[in-house]
Amino acid sequence: MKILKIIVSMLIIGFIIGILPKNLYSQQEVRIRIRDGMPMIPVALPDFAFTKDSIIDESVKKEIYETLWNDLKFSRVFKLIPREHYTYIHKFNPSNIIFKDWESIQANILISGEIEFSKEKRIIFSFKVYEVKSGKFIFGRNFGGKVEFIRLIAHRAADEMMKHFGEKPIFNSKITFVSSRDGNKEIYIMDYDGKRVKRMTYNEYIDLLPSWSFDNEKILYTSYRRNNPDLYIFYLYTGKTELVSTGRANYCADWSPENDKIVFTSTKAGNAEIFLKDMKTGKEKRLTFNRAIDTSPCWSYSGREIAFTSQRGGTPQIYIMDAEGTNVRRITYEGTYHDSPAWSPDGTRIAFVSRIEGRFDIYVHNLRSNVMIKLTENASRNENPSWSPDGRHIVFSSNRTGRYQLYIVDYDGTNLVQITNKGENKMSKWQKRVR
Amino acid sequence: MNKKFFVILISFMLIVFFSTCKKKEVKTEPVKEPVVEKVEEVTPKVEKPVLTEEEIFQKRDLEEANKAGYLKKVHFDFDKYYIKDDMKPILHSNAEWLLKHPSVEILVEGHCDERGTIEYNIALGEKRAEAAKNYLLSLGVPELRIKIISYGKSKPLVRGVDEETYYQNRRSEFTIVKK
Repeated sequence: MKILKIIVSMLIIGFIIGILPKNLYSQQEVRIRIRDGMPMIPVALPDFAFTKDSIIDESVKKEIYETLWNDLKFSRVFKLIPREHYTYIHKFNPSNIIFKDWESIQANILISGEIEFSKEKRIIFSFKVYEVKSGKFIFGRNFGGKVEFIRLIAHRAADEMMKHFGEKPIFNSKITFVSSRDGNKEIYIMDYDGKRVKRMTYNEYIDLLPSWSFDNEKILYTSYRRNNPDLYIFYLYTGKTELVSTGRANYCADWSPENDKIVFTSTKAGNAEIFLKDMKTGKEKRLTFNRAIDTSPCWSYSGREIAFTSQRGGTPQIYIMDAEGTNVRRITYEGTYHDSPAWSPDGTRIAFVSRIEGRFDIYVHNLRSNVMIKLTENASRNENPSWSPDGRHIVFSSNRTGRYQLYIVDYDGTNLVQITNKGENKMSKWQKRVR
Repeated sequence: MNKKFFVILISFMLIVFFSTCKKKEVKTEPVKEPVVEKVEEVTPKVEKPVLTEEEIFQKRDLEEANKAGYLKKVHFDFDKYYIKDDMKPILHSNAEWLLKHPSVEILVEGHCDERGTIEYNIALGEKRAEAAKNYLLSLGVPELRIKIISYGKSKPLVRGVDEETYYQNRRSEFTIVKK
């Protein structure tokens, strides 16, 4: 009986407590959930139309449509409503849009596109963006160019979408990498999606570890063309190559965000150490001083810090120092072999490579939460991570298929895509900044 | 000869004359066109260099000398760069040969197996080349005759994924650069 009484009284108390808060708090409770990433914006992208003066060329339409579709799908900002859903509703008519229909298939944003393809092989792509709920026109742009720039036109449209929604336009960004597709290891550049590859070097010697300057006009790389690993700068728009540092091995260079200094590994002191060079004055400054191997310097996007690998603790581990070489602190403690640190653009994370039993996997270490996540999982070597300018994606090389190819994975380990398949491809670096 | 010249000159003048006399177009009200942003890209300039005759000759001559295999390579332990005891006799015979041929200059190449990162392996390969060089110096070979270079893992001797392959690739090689 006593137990029953207690249960009944507890139920009553519980009931009172349950209804109390509503009367106690006069203000409404606001709950903020903090998550990694934002919910994606649902976008509908119906088929494009041709203008009445245009040549009807389905391949042109397909190229623009698919490039734009793939960009938006890749973005992690937008979520595309599957095309099958468009068949449930009235066929899209740009001059009479039935927004209720698009709302019914859960689209928030609707993109309408029109192509004009002229006899002179020029394309004008006009696109209009609508908010579905209100049926309001948000913005529209027209992009024109020669048919050879067709992919750029679509990328520009995707970039406009990113910019309009407050994101970095990454779809015109490029990746530099080393490829053996023409026989020898040479430097190449390509679009972020692996298309429009262009060869940069023709020296028939080994070329390694290219690295973009923040203004995207120069590539620093290491070449054995003088039978020694020397550092070179390739100026993309003048075609000039300049020898930067020589005497023993000089490699693994990275730029300061102001493009006025570089940091690199050199063995000129008899052992691999990190050096800083002022590109204006030509003055060099040694940043590390010990008998162990120090290498792989990576300048943070803020310019304040440099991440690097050092073997000073017995095994190669990731460290961070201030850009002056002071205030060195160790980042990784687990594992026996870490290398290739890469700062995320916002400076909160460092991606790196970790070796366990002869395999390499890519990890991301969050400097704020001290949480490490593993991005790759397979019995192969995954190397040289490099972040996209918006920090949502990482390009890296992997020999999971037997040969080294380049892949992109998102910051949380999802959406893996292979972007190369010719020859062997590695040492990829994404442009750091977009205009 | 003169005639030809005159014909060309006259025709050229005619062309100039006619082109300047072209009727001026009647101005019409410009139709308002939507703003079209030009999309294009400046393509980077790249030039293909050519090897000089001399470079090719110099290369070929030494290739033959190196093919003869006067100098033997030494191997290393995983992630290590010290000279192993069983490799010391090889270095002794290399040093002996070098002392017999005082005009020969060599390049010591340091190589690694593929189980390291590119960045770290260049440093490790350098350490291996240096270890071999220092050993030769200790045997009396003058320092001026030895240069070192590290290739990291970019020049494997054999391809494969077993311990024997890795052992073969972890090496210091001796190349004759001057006879």
